[in-house]
Amino acid sequence: MSGNSFIYVTYIRAAQQKVWDALTKPEFQKQYWFGGHQESTWRKGAEWKMFMPQHGLTDSGEILESDPPNRVVIKWRNEFRPNLKAEGYARCVMELTQEDDLTKLTVTHTIDKENSEFIQAVSGGWPRILSSLQSYLETGRAHGDTRSVSEGAHT
Amino acid sequence: MSDYVYVTYIYTTPQKVWDAITKPEFARRYWVHCNVSDWKPGSRWEHRHGDDSGKVLIDGTVVESDPPRRLVITWTRPDKSKTPSRVTFDIADYAPGLTCLTVTHDQLEHDDAMAASISGGWPKVLSNLKSLLETGKTENIWLTKGKEG
Repeated sequence: MSGNSFIYVTYIRAAQQKVWDALTKPEFQKQYWFGGHQESTWRKGAEWKMFMPQHGLTDSGEILESDPPNRVVIKWRNEFRPNLKAEGYARCVMELTQEDDLTKLTVTHTIDKENSEFIQAVSGGWPRILSSLQSYLETGRAHGDTRSVSEGAHT
Repeated sequence: MSDYVYVTYIYTTPQKVWDAITKPEFARRYWVHCNVSDWKPGSRWEHRHGDDSGKVLIDGTVVESDPPRRLVITWTRPDKSKTPSRVTFDIADYAPGLTCLTVTHDQLEHDDAMAASISGGWPKVLSNLKSLLETGKTENIWLTKGKEG
């Protein structure tokens, strides 16, 4: 792997269904995803779109696999940064497993391109988003960061 | 095997993150294991089991030490059967009240088994550290379902 894949694993003290809901429901996403949210039915074949407050539509694609609350696979393309959009579709796999009182969440983002700028961008974004998610679910307080994810490192 | 990098953002201070890594009584609460050294450049450090045995699981040398911002250590199997790898902790203020911890574990090209082990272990250790500093609660991460790292 040289720059075409990013993996992040986190363990969150919450039930697996709560983590799934936080990942897929806009009212929860807006709490920890720096104001952004996603629209989809989360069924296989459904459209998937991400919106950020200052940018509108930032990413779009399709649900390739869906097995709530265990696994979802998203066909994912950036829509607002031309250099990232030009790289085409990436694939994002989110896997959840309950381990005693913890939920293990693994996010794997891959693209069929070496030294991908898209992967470089999401490599900065995911740790911020998933740290914010862990704080949100464990303490009720997400990361109120003034630096927008989309202006920072995320897609 | 490429370098392993894990970044996490924690509602706490850089000093508390530093203490959590370097003070045994603190580390035992979330890592189960603990790290023992005077943390001066050139000093030996030991990664010990936190139980009464105090068994040394990993040891090495302190390469750089700049409390509470940066710590670089070599990461050696006690039987010296493999070339040591290296761990760097970078601790930075990110936003008001929010500290960014970056753990970089590199020089792993001579020890594939260690590379596999630490890529399972660091997320457990660092998620549990974040839980401890933000909520006071932890798990015995090596007893939950899953592989020891």
